[in-house]
Amino acid sequence: MSRVGEGPAIVTPPAPEKDAELLARVQRGDERAMAVLFDRYSKIVYSISLRVLRDTAAAEDVMQEIFMQIWRKPESFVSAKGSLGGWLTVVARNRSIDTLRRKRPSDQVEELNLASAFDLAEDSERNLLMERARAGVVKLPPEQRKTLEMAFFDGLTHAEIAEMTGDPLGTVKTRIRSALLTLRKGFQA
Amino acid sequence: MSNPNHILPDDLYLFALQVLPEEDMRSDYAHLQECALCRAELGNIQGDLVTYAMTTEMQAPPTQARERLLNQIAKEKKVLPVDQKEKALEPMLYPRNSRMFQMEAPEERKPRFGFMGWAGWAVAAGVAAFGFLQFQHGQQLQQQLSAESAKLSSSLAESAKAEQVMQALTDQGAMQVSMHIPVDPKTPPKLDPEAHAVYVPGKGSLVFVANHLDPLQPYKTYELWLIPTGKDAKPIPAGLFKPDQFGNATVVLPELPKGVAAANFGVTIEDDGGSQKPSLPIILMGM
Repeated sequence: MSRVGEGPAIVTPPAPEKDAELLARVQRGDERAMAVLFDRYSKIVYSISLRVLRDTAAAEDVMQEIFMQIWRKPESFVSAKGSLGGWLTVVARNRSIDTLRRKRPSDQVEELNLASAFDLAEDSERNLLMERARAGVVKLPPEQRKTLEMAFFDGLTHAEIAEMTGDPLGTVKTRIRSALLTLRKGFQA
Repeated sequence: MSNPNHILPDDLYLFALQVLPEEDMRSDYAHLQECALCRAELGNIQGDLVTYAMTTEMQAPPTQARERLLNQIAKEKKVLPVDQKEKALEPMLYPRNSRMFQMEAPEERKPRFGFMGWAGWAVAAGVAAFGFLQFQHGQQLQQQLSAESAKLSSSLAESAKAEQVMQALTDQGAMQVSMHIPVDPKTPPKLDPEAHAVYVPGKGSLVFVANHLDPLQPYKTYELWLIPTGKDAKPIPAGLFKPDQFGNATVVLPELPKGVAAANFGVTIEDDGGSQKPSLPIILMGM
């Protein structure tokens, strides 16, 4: 028998810790906080590096280096730079391109602010972003899609792209901008 | 590249992609330090790039990567300054409004400084300064030690991997398979795609090199398959790869179970992200 009005206890799972709290713990030397950040973002970082480098070992090395940067200098990431997930996405791409070109890492772009309305820490939001981004890219004109892919994932300069495709330099630049603007408008619609 | 006031919109996109010549990158960066408008637009572009990056097929990193990272950070443990440690612990030990805190608060005493009192303070200050310098020196040494340990462990990991590759290539028990497309006498002679695989079943080590591969359509990838011996054995995915501009590609030490005897190897074209079972046709296979 059970008493009237007494139902089974509902156990609410604890809310996931926010990135800022985890970074504060990392600053205090908490290794478990690093493990949580790794579990949260390693898939994104690794996948982007792998897409650029097409080499599992090299992608793992880039990922390792990025997470070690967080461990060594968590203070170098401040909330003013935008979301940690977004920052990691940009850094994963840039470091992978640097590795591809065997170039010394450049921090210029990574130092600057980043605006993204999406919180990549949330699985549901991340999945929604992926779904919408893919749908948006499929709608791009093929020449814009190809040019953006060559610039972003292959790290080719606009001059190199122009040389490979035979298109004028100005056309290549405009295609990159138009493609990203179309994606942005698709999200705003 | 930039006008005296603002960076041209097209160039701002190229700056965000880090594909401008170095000189332009530097001048645009200097402008961005001063110009809030361009900085804000760059932030929007970075947001667009994050969106675009998310079109990548998600793949889980190798399982040992997590352990590798945690081992590395354990080797580079952080040394916190003493006062920071105490600050962090204080609320747990004695909340400020707790009875314990009040009981153990030191009694206020009226200052009774004579000459000896001041001299004592001077000595204490000297000792404290000396202690602080020693602490700083200790911390510097600790940081140097951590950095050196990190370099050493990274070198050891690379060396172990190189040794594993060498063992796979030189192992007498290694199975070596050359793969070619089936020869058709009607096909005019050209450089056909070909590949070579070296496989050590006991260690699950595989090194695969392919040449003269055709370029792929966007969102497609080549996938390598290990075809185990046995009647009903299913092909095992052995790595994804895309050729470079010269048609060359490699797969080095993909994650494979140990002890699987291989009857053959094959290569197929799959959608980006790979497949769990091969799609026909088989582009390359062992002869």
